[in-house]
Amino acid sequence: MIEFDRVSRRHGDQHALRNLNLAVDQGEMTFLTGHSGAGKSTVLKLLLLLDRPTGGEIRVNGDRITHLTGGAVARYRRRFGVVFQDHRLLFDRSVHDNVALPLEIAGFSPRDITRRVRAALDKVGLLASERADPASLSGGEQQRVGIARAVVARPEFLIADEPTGNLDPQLSSEIMSLFEAFNQVGVTVLIATHDMPLICRLRHRIVTLSSGSLVAGDAS
Amino acid sequence: MKISLLRERPLWRWWPVWLLQHQSAAASSWKKLQERPLSTFMTWLLVALSLALPASLLLTVNNLNSVTSHFERPPQFSLLLTEQMDLDDATHLQQAITNWPEVARVKLIPRDEALSQFIALTGLNPLLESLPRNPLPHTLLVSLHNTAPEKDSTLLAKRLESSNGVDQVVLDTLWMIRLEEGLRAASRWVLAVGAMMLLTTVLALGNILRLTVVARGDEILVVRLIGGSSAFARRPFLYTGLWYGLGGGALGAVMLWLFCGWLAGPVNALFILYESQQRLQWPGIHYPLGLLAVAVVLGWIASWMACERHFRQLDKQ
Repeated sequence: MIEFDRVSRRHGDQHALRNLNLAVDQGEMTFLTGHSGAGKSTVLKLLLLLDRPTGGEIRVNGDRITHLTGGAVARYRRRFGVVFQDHRLLFDRSVHDNVALPLEIAGFSPRDITRRVRAALDKVGLLASERADPASLSGGEQQRVGIARAVVARPEFLIADEPTGNLDPQLSSEIMSLFEAFNQVGVTVLIATHDMPLICRLRHRIVTLSSGSLVAGDAS
Repeated sequence: MKISLLRERPLWRWWPVWLLQHQSAAASSWKKLQERPLSTFMTWLLVALSLALPASLLLTVNNLNSVTSHFERPPQFSLLLTEQMDLDDATHLQQAITNWPEVARVKLIPRDEALSQFIALTGLNPLLESLPRNPLPHTLLVSLHNTAPEKDSTLLAKRLESSNGVDQVVLDTLWMIRLEEGLRAASRWVLAVGAMMLLTTVLALGNILRLTVVARGDEILVVRLIGGSSAFARRPFLYTGLWYGLGGGALGAVMLWLFCGWLAGPVNALFILYESQQRLQWPGIHYPLGLLAVAVVLGWIASWMACERHFRQLDKQ
């Protein structure tokens, strides 16, 4: 469970978040939406400890996380699978090696790595491209490699920041179906997006932010 | 949800993981260097030259030191006695000086013995026999203890000069003392030049590695975003530093051997002309090992510095 308890983030006079209360239950799939600058990315950054709140408290499964530093931050981040709008794939290595990265970090054996990478690529429909250069794939395929990398280590939480930002509606829909499939096996999913037509069709909780505050949807 | 984290494993299960991660980092950084052979070779050359220069200077100084140690001996004076001193007086003076604490021994060379030695050495027999009398004085060879510093021997020379019956004091080993002092200065110069070159290497390597780190900034960012520790992100670059160091150190050792090979001919010819048994000393095994060790440590320092700087900037962003 993810809890934001009156969380604020201020940059000088600018408030990126104001006293935000938000709770995402275990196994829940939640969309975080709002205009650009509404605070969606700030929520994800704070959750991944890429930034620190100036007020309030964030708890994950009941544990306060805002005081974590050094190696504890790295271990904490391994509980999350993260999907970025621009995929953030590494183009100097194959699709397999990109997906294998979280497993190498977590210390899996080469045999386990191969098995799990193949399973994850199979789930996103890219097993045939295992040895391919990511640059040779289409935008939608690259995003699916990004998703395979996010889920390969079987994280507790799947976080995505505008995962369909650069994709056409057909591909966006396919990507969202993938997230739903992972949610159905128990992964807690939190997706920041402003693709309202797409998410309105899906029956999941939608939380809307504006100027760093919750304006629509329940806090918990 | 079960997830495997390094810290949660018992130590005996953590060790193979650590080895695997090192193996992977070492292999990937080596592959990256192979992809840019020219710039890798240039970096090796930079490290090699920066280390071979002070190493060759050190080798030169060591060689000169071994030459002087070959004829190393305590300071020695020759006391040329006055005409008036007969053999008895000379023997008395010899005994008196022998008792001085700085003096190790005093050898008396009577004037007749000196003359016969001179004739034997020069072959000027007919000329010397034509002289009405032996022109050479009695001579005392005064050897000092090995420990006597230069200042003491200068004071002693004055004391000897003022002794009764002494005409002239000649310090036989003065040139050696000067040479030794010169070599001491040269050794320090070599150390200073070496330290400056090492610092230059660290800075230059640091810049090269910094460019590498910046070029692979995406990788560092992604690794950190998906839960890689700083050590994990740093590891490939430490191996890059290691490869730069090993390659540069090995190349430096080869250069040093080439340097010696080039010098050996004329230097040994010079020794032979001076009828010396001495030959140019080639660098022993400790030279290449030392070069490799120093180069590797420099590579590590440089890559550590480059990574830390990048991490700090990432944290600020």
